[in-house]
Amino acid sequence: MDDFTWGLVQIVGVHTILGLSAYVILLTGQVSMAQAGFVAIGAYVAGMLTVLAEWHIIPSMITGGLAAAVLACIVGFPALRVRGLMLVVATIAFGEFVRLFWFNFDYRIAKGDIIVGPEGGEGFKQIRFFPENGWTTQDVAAFIWIVAAIILATLWWMDRSRAGKVLRAVGEDEMAAQSVGINLTVVKVSAFTAGGFIAGIAGALYAHYTTHIEHLNFDILMATFAIAYPILGGLANVWGTLFAAIFIQVIVIEVLRDLGDVRNLMFGALIILVMNFLPRGLFSAQVVRKLREWTGLGKTSDA
Amino acid sequence: MEFVDYLQAVTDGVMQGAYYALIGIGFTLIFGVMNKINLAYAAAAFGGAYASLGVAALIGTGDDFGLPPLLMFLVSAVAAGLFAWVVYTICFRFTPDHYELATLMATVGAFFLIEEIAVHATDGEPMDFPEVLQGIIDDPMIEFSDAFAVRGDLLTIFLLALIAMGLLLTLLYRTRLGLATRAVAQQRTAAQLCGISVDRTNATTFIIAGVLGGLAGAMIGAAVGVLSPLLFVPLTVKGLIVTVMGGLGSIPGAIVAGLLVGGLENVFLALRGITERDMYVMLLLFLFLAFRPQGLFGKKVLRD
Repeated sequence: MDDFTWGLVQIVGVHTILGLSAYVILLTGQVSMAQAGFVAIGAYVAGMLTVLAEWHIIPSMITGGLAAAVLACIVGFPALRVRGLMLVVATIAFGEFVRLFWFNFDYRIAKGDIIVGPEGGEGFKQIRFFPENGWTTQDVAAFIWIVAAIILATLWWMDRSRAGKVLRAVGEDEMAAQSVGINLTVVKVSAFTAGGFIAGIAGALYAHYTTHIEHLNFDILMATFAIAYPILGGLANVWGTLFAAIFIQVIVIEVLRDLGDVRNLMFGALIILVMNFLPRGLFSAQVVRKLREWTGLGKTSDA
Repeated sequence: MEFVDYLQAVTDGVMQGAYYALIGIGFTLIFGVMNKINLAYAAAAFGGAYASLGVAALIGTGDDFGLPPLLMFLVSAVAAGLFAWVVYTICFRFTPDHYELATLMATVGAFFLIEEIAVHATDGEPMDFPEVLQGIIDDPMIEFSDAFAVRGDLLTIFLLALIAMGLLLTLLYRTRLGLATRAVAQQRTAAQLCGISVDRTNATTFIIAGVLGGLAGAMIGAAVGVLSPLLFVPLTVKGLIVTVMGGLGSIPGAIVAGLLVGGLENVFLALRGITERDMYVMLLLFLFLAFRPQGLFGKKVLRD
């Protein structure tokens, strides 16, 4: 495989994590258009830690995730107490707010003979932890997929635990969930915080493999990608999100590269088509049940 | 800044706020009848403005612009109404009623589809919009003193928007069509039992909202001087903020919130500059969410 292909492997890995960050929140029936904002927080915080404070990537990544989680928790409280549709508006506005914050954020210090750090509209250049420490493209891709696998496994396990049942109960019917003693605000804010953490991790990885970030990277398109993967893939389990991230990034965006600009039109058209014909996503609960019957796999589970 | 500078900033802003109000009314109308958000609404509105440029380019030759000013607004309104109907058909008509996620996602898809078509048709370049507002009011600057003046083009926009709002309210409260719309908004099943076709009423509401959006789109083109796909996201966000601040489903709320956001935005601009302006508008929204989630005129319903 050449470097281009390895680069694609990295992109798909980060986008899978991005989709999973929205997946947790969608399980509770809430739509967050703020995921790009959390990604931006994780990216800038982790980038500043490795570049300005010269930390290792792993503690920087976790700190970036935690920073995004704290903000998600703070924003979640007022936003999640209101109607579900209002949350869409609040999160769009929050995402744009974060983007504009980094657009105005300027903090540079001299490091050796060069000046590094985020520079407002110019962006944050020279996030060179990987090349400086001799990581090859393959190493970076492997690292990204190890992180993605840990998050996938954790969410897959959570889906089967009591926590997953509680999240889905809130997503299916808030009134019924409340009547069996589930505290809606706690559940929603927890899911939102977890989604913020995962998005922050995605951002830290994104900042380090691209080595250059700017506020325009974290626009509505990225926020849309985040919710598009789980919605198009279906919310029955985590594999739908993984499949949709691979499908959109590899087939729609890379293989169809020759079509040029038309493929951008296809992203919008694809979403509209799937929502009209398969509104619950490609792998909805019914489809998953049928697949299990046909293949005879996973019969012991609670399907 | 002196007091008169604030006065100038607020006056300009409130007049520009007229198009935020129109966009906000569009979102709120659709929310009112369908209980759903149409995120492609502002994009479809700009689609109308682009269409009016296209028609003008087809008719006109060289420097001679093909359409008289008011006809530009009319073409934009009609085209945006048509686009709104298309959005209704592909995003709302066949998606499940009780699964809001699918509709919402479809409208996001429609947003990107419209944006990409606009980028495609114009090679991503901003398009000059003719100064259609010059000459409707003779005086380009109505000066009251050395420090305070009212811009003629903004005043025209403001008056046009007021007329459009007046027509909309007449339509909603004085005609049978408006009665049907309000009936569906109030109690869908009951309206259906009275023989009102919910589907047709929804489609009509989308077209009405689209027409308003088309007017707003042409106004923005005329006030800014250019049309660009870069305007789609900010206008969508501002329109949604206006809708929430006014109270979801409340038309007077959207009008007041639109003018309020326009006025305050210009004060933020004067105080903090263009790069920070929108951050304060977003903070304003969060203040509303934290302390007055039902908006200015909304009913106190906290959950779906």
